[in-house]
Parts: sequence; C-alpha cells; structure tokens
Amino acid sequence: MAKLTSQTVKAMAQELYGYELTDEAAAAVANAAGAMVTHSRRLGSLDLSGVQPPFGYPTLLAEAERIRKRG
Amino acid sequence: MSSQELLSLDVAALGEGIRARRISPVELTEAYLARLETVDKRVVAYITVTADRARADARHAESEIAAGRWRGPFHGVPVALKDLCYTSGIRTTGGSKILTDFVPAYDATVWARLAEAGAVLLGKLNLHEFANGASSSNPHFGFVRNPYNLEHIPGGSSGGSAAAIVARMAAATIGTDTGGSIRVPAAFCGCVGLKQTWSRVSRYGVLPLADSLDHVGPITRTVGDAALMLNVIAGHDPNDVTSSRLPVPDYTSRLDAGVAGMRFGVIKELTIGASAEVLDSFHAAVRLIESMGARVEEVSIPSIDSGILIASAITLPEALEYHQRWFPERAADYGSDVRWTMEAAGAMPATVYIRAQRARARMLAEVLGAMAGHQVLLAPATGIAAPLIGAQGRGAKQPDGKPVNLVKAVLRFSAPFNVTGQPALALPTGLSPAGLPLSMQIVGRPFDELTVLQAARAYERARGPLPPPKL
Repeated sequence: MAKLTSQTVKAMAQELYGYELTDEAAAAVANAAGAMVTHSRRLGSLDLSGVQPPFGYPTLLAEAERIRKRG
Repeated sequence: MSSQELLSLDVAALGEGIRARRISPVELTEAYLARLETVDKRVVAYITVTADRARADARHAESEIAAGRWRGPFHGVPVALKDLCYTSGIRTTGGSKILTDFVPAYDATVWARLAEAGAVLLGKLNLHEFANGASSSNPHFGFVRNPYNLEHIPGGSSGGSAAAIVARMAAATIGTDTGGSIRVPAAFCGCVGLKQTWSRVSRYGVLPLADSLDHVGPITRTVGDAALMLNVIAGHDPNDVTSSRLPVPDYTSRLDAGVAGMRFGVIKELTIGASAEVLDSFHAAVRLIESMGARVEEVSIPSIDSGILIASAITLPEALEYHQRWFPERAADYGSDVRWTMEAAGAMPATVYIRAQRARARMLAEVLGAMAGHQVLLAPATGIAAPLIGAQGRGAKQPDGKPVNLVKAVLRFSAPFNVTGQPALALPTGLSPAGLPLSMQIVGRPFDELTVLQAARAYERARGPLPPPKL
C-alpha cells in the first residue's frame, strides 16, 4: 500500500474540507494516520473473520421509532 | 455542626443527617459555596458556579423535608456536573470557546434524575476541552489543578469533577468516560470513579465525544456514594434508545457482603509497564484483598494491548463526525491538541474504524474467557501517578521536563474497558512517596456493577481513607 505523505494529507484536507494544514501539521497527521492504518492491519491477527461489528438492528429500529414519534 | 465537619461527610452520612434534620441543606450549601469561594481560585475545578440556583434548591429541599417529604439520600445534597451535561437555562460550554455562551433548553437525563432526587446544583465543572484529552489543562477556562499538588494535572477529561470531590467543593459529581475520563482523574486525585456498563446510564443531553464508547457516571468520595448515585441515574431512558432495559438493582444491597470466597483475576498484561510505585501499591492492595479471604490468581488477556488502538480508531472518526458542525470552519477556536485530533481523524480511512469495531467483540470474548471462574478482574487504574502540568499546558511532563506519553502511561490501562463496555471502578490504594494518589481498578462482567461495588467497598473499608490534601 502506498505511504501516506504530507502532500497527500494537505491536498485531501483542502479538497475535502477546504482546510489549510501547515506543513508541520500535515506531516504529523500523515505519520499518525499512517501508523493507525499499519496497526489496524495488525488487528487482523485477532482473527476477525466472521466477527460482526456491533451495529445492532434493534438500535436502528428503536431510533427510527423515536424520531418518528418526535415528528 | 461546623462547616469543616459538614464538608467532611460523604453523601451517605449527609443523607442520613438531612433526613433526621440534624443537617440543614441550606447551611450545608452555604458551607460548600464558602469553600468554593476560597479554594477554587487555586484548583480551577468550576467553569460556572450556580450559587443562586443552589440556594433556591437548598431552601426548597429544606421546606419539603420539614413537611415530611424526604426524597432519598440526595435530597438537599450539593452536587456538580461535568460541563458536558445539558442544564436547562444554565450554560453548558463543553469546556470550549465554541460553546462559551450555549444555554440548553433541556436537562441531560442524568441531571434530570438527580434533580428529581432533590440534589442541589452547585455548578458546572471544568474539563479537558470537549472531553477530548487526559490532562484537563483547559486553554479557555484555566488549567484544572490536582488538589494533592497544584503543579500536577488532575487527569482528564473529567478533571474538575474529581478535583472538586477531593478539594471538598462538591459532595458528589458526574463525569464521563470514553477512554478513561472518569477513572483517570479519580485515580490521579484520590477518589472513587465508576464507569458502569455501557448503556446502563442514559447519555441523552450529554455532549458526545464518541457515542459508542461514551459512558456517564459517578465520581465520589466513597464506594457507597457511587452506589447511591448509580441508584439514581441508572435505567432505561426513552430519549436514549441505546440505554439498557434491564432491571436496575439496588446497588447498595450487597455493599457489605465482603470478599471472602470471591475469586479475583489480576490482569498480567496490565502489571507490565506500570511504574514501581504504582505496582508496589497495587500488589499491597492485592495482598490485602487476599487477607480478607478472597482467592486471587493471575489471568492473561493478550489482546488487551490492542485496546488503546481500537479505542483511538473509534474515537477519532466518531468525534470528528460530531464536530463537523464546527470543524474546520471554526478550527481556530479549538485548543491546539483538540484541533490536532480533528485533523488526524480527517485522514483516517473508514476501514480502520470498521475493523476496530469488529475487533471489539473479539476482545470482549477474550476478557470474558479470562473471567470464567473469576467474579472481577484487578489492574492498576493508571501506570503512573499524576504527572506535572505540561509546558504551555500541553499534555504532561516529567520532573526533567520531558513530555509524558499519556496514551502509553495512562490510557493503555483504562481504554480497554471502554472498548469492551464492562463496568470498571477506580479507587485509591495509597499515596506515592511524593504524596500523590495511586489507584487500582476493579473490572466486572457486563451489568454486574453490584459485584464490583461489593469488592471495592470491602477493600476501601480495609484500607481506610487517604489523608486529605493540604489546600
């Protein structure tokens, strides 16, 4: 996977959010986000195949009902 | 009773005294307001003091009790709320410049329930900006100070909630905990902090940091007070559909059942990487628990060191999603450390978030496996005692000026139980050679706060209280 660079981070912040990052901040963000992606891949060692993320349908139904009642 | 005597009592004692009309809520409230006036200039625990509201609440409580209408242990007792909790007609800043003048039109459910129980509102407590950090060095409302040593951080993000308890500026407070924000300040300041099971207490009307990890809970002087407060605030709330519908037990019912015959597991991985003074105090606590007839064994949870990564991978994007109502347009109004977390979150791919959510079930399964045959788990609440306030209020530092990595030294111990959503209670185990509080956490099975409180109370009774700070 390509390394996340500070130039990419700066461009992304500008394109997506219209937000100007300093060179220093962009480098720090690139490092942090890159490290997070790397570490996240290591979570695969926990054997996550077949494990569902905890987004429950009962919560979705209940929240929809609450919103509907509120009008 | 003198003001000093009144301020030294916990909620349980105050409740009894008020019920028997030996203690006047009006005199008690005046004692707290006078204490605030003299001490909070140094501790900076409060953002807003609601003195007029407190006096009105106290007069109302006193007249109701005189008429024979006692509502329970919190009736006439002065409390304060982390300034993330909505209070109708009273500003709720979140510790931020952005919400400096925000006045909600309704109450958070936790406050509505405490108010219904007759509690007196002293005010709103200082915190790390938007609960997004562990130092409580707030650039907009002042740095909260540790009552045991004003040069040290109180921990965060509920720093004002813990500092106010220990400095005798509230009888009980509310905090919130996304990665340790109740337990860390309780540990650093030397009081009790309970993060109950996720969904046990409504989050309605509480400014979020990360919805799927946020917990709202008590910070108190004693374990008994935490049980009393949980009795008031726990239970389903139709305004928070994620709040549990399970029945709420009386959390005081097993407080004095002791630990003889109970089985404790010490989490091996969390005894690695803590400082020598933390470990000495922790092992002394474990020996004391064993001496009371409990059986203590070591357990291993290898995935626990993934806890901080999982918590960060969930917190960053959930926080940014909420803050997009202000960020990046008002980026300059955030403190530099909070702004940095928003910037970093914007660069994180969604796959990281989804994978972290998926890993939660795996980690909880491993923790529950380690709990088979053990009612509760034990670990240090933090890896260090409270460090010094960082340079320019950023983070924290060591005596030689080097920055402290709060993620590694502190949140690594607490965040795993936000990921698993289990109940975890921090309570003091002693003072360091430098006179700073040390603490352990007791972790229970989901929705088994009763056993956590039972174990904590037994230890607390055996150890005795910490000497109060000299303020």
